[in-house]
Amino acid sequence: MIDERMEEQAALHVLGALSEAESREFTQAMTANPELREFVARLSAVTAAMSGAVPKVEPPPQLRAKVLSQVASAQKIVSLPERKFGLVSWLPWALATCLAILLIVLFAQDMRFRQTVGDQAEQIDKLNQLAQSLQSATNELRRTVLALQETNRLVNLRVAMLNSLVADAPKTVAVSLWDNEHQDGVFVAENLKALPSDRDYELWVIDENQTPVAAGVFQVDANGKIRMEFKPARLIKTAGMFAVTEEAKGGVASPTMKNMVLAGN
Amino acid sequence: MRAQTDFVRVLPIFVLKTAGSYSFLTKPVNEQDTRNRDIALLRHIGARDRDAFAEFYDKYSTLLFSIASKILNDAAEAEDVLQETFMQIWEKAGNFDPNLGQPLGWAVTMVRNRAIDRIRASQRRNLLTEEAGVEFALAAKSSETANETVTGHEKAKLIHAAMVDLPAEQRRAIELAFFAGLTQNEISDKLQEPLGTIKARIRRGLLKLRDQLEGLL
Repeated sequence: MIDERMEEQAALHVLGALSEAESREFTQAMTANPELREFVARLSAVTAAMSGAVPKVEPPPQLRAKVLSQVASAQKIVSLPERKFGLVSWLPWALATCLAILLIVLFAQDMRFRQTVGDQAEQIDKLNQLAQSLQSATNELRRTVLALQETNRLVNLRVAMLNSLVADAPKTVAVSLWDNEHQDGVFVAENLKALPSDRDYELWVIDENQTPVAAGVFQVDANGKIRMEFKPARLIKTAGMFAVTEEAKGGVASPTMKNMVLAGN
Repeated sequence: MRAQTDFVRVLPIFVLKTAGSYSFLTKPVNEQDTRNRDIALLRHIGARDRDAFAEFYDKYSTLLFSIASKILNDAAEAEDVLQETFMQIWEKAGNFDPNLGQPLGWAVTMVRNRAIDRIRASQRRNLLTEEAGVEFALAAKSSETANETVTGHEKAKLIHAAMVDLPAEQRRAIELAFFAGLTQNEISDKLQEPLGTIKARIRRGLLKLRDQLEGLL
């Protein structure tokens, strides 16, 4: 049942005579009331008929084409999916397809490249391992060669035992290792007495002609020990004997025979 | 006065043009057919059917232009309003709800509101309101009304007669509301009548029209 007040509101509503707030409120009431909706629909029809009682005025004929044209242009913007497929409409799809194919080709090439790079990296790893193995083998060979050389050198070393010639120093012992090929050697002695600061021991290599050749001067430590590498002043063809003399500081050109401390071969 | 329904009864024939697009070749025989056909047209317009839109334009453009012209009293502005209204119909047809009214009422409200908005925007309402007060909105009895393009001559004459039969104070209140865009309070001020009186006049006037036009609408 629609009361008189609601009928008034409905009449004002269809004539557009309600304020905005009143119109909103009435629209809400109408939404919830089917009978009111029906009533308003009938009044709307009355209003439409009433509005048509005005004098007839024809719109300009060109307005029809203008409106239809406007709608057509709006439709082109809004309804792109409904457009007929032509060359232009296919173009984006064709471009998209080409792009997709290009991406697939690039992807395949990328995969092949990655595979190649992977294979090459694997080969590089293998080569590195081989190089390491070769390096290790080379080092081992080098060590072996050095060992062999050392062995061969030891074979060629001349070992001479020097004995004390001094009566009050019987415990003195000395060894001279001589490498004739390299013309150098090592002299080791123990229990030699210490000398005053103005005196030195001097080592001599006696060659095959019995000529002494100076091989260096030395002092012993507090324990009477000395280890010295030596190299004679001139070429020794064959070392026949080794000797040590006590000399003035810095050594002399010819040994003082009466001051010979050690000798041996 | 009861409306006569002696129109030629011809069933509407819908000719299938393309899938989902119809062309209405014949006129409907009664208001229910008209309403159904208009609803179908709006449905097709909502689906972007330009043929349906053109048919709707051909059917109602004269009526809507006449209303706009009456409200605005300016042909150029009425032209703009008609164009805007049909663009709005094109855009909003898909939202039309038949439960809330008939298509013609929907379109009339649209063109009326656009015309009134123009008046308000141009601050011309006072002048036009005065004009509405002295110039009767209805067409003279001898001249053609806008309804003739929609309902035909005979029916338009019946509607015109029903309007003429309304008591002058009721018709004037209704015209000030609809054609001048005045609110109930403004009409009350304009006519120097109590608000309740204005509401009652408008209600009684529309109900009387409804009763007189029953069978025609």
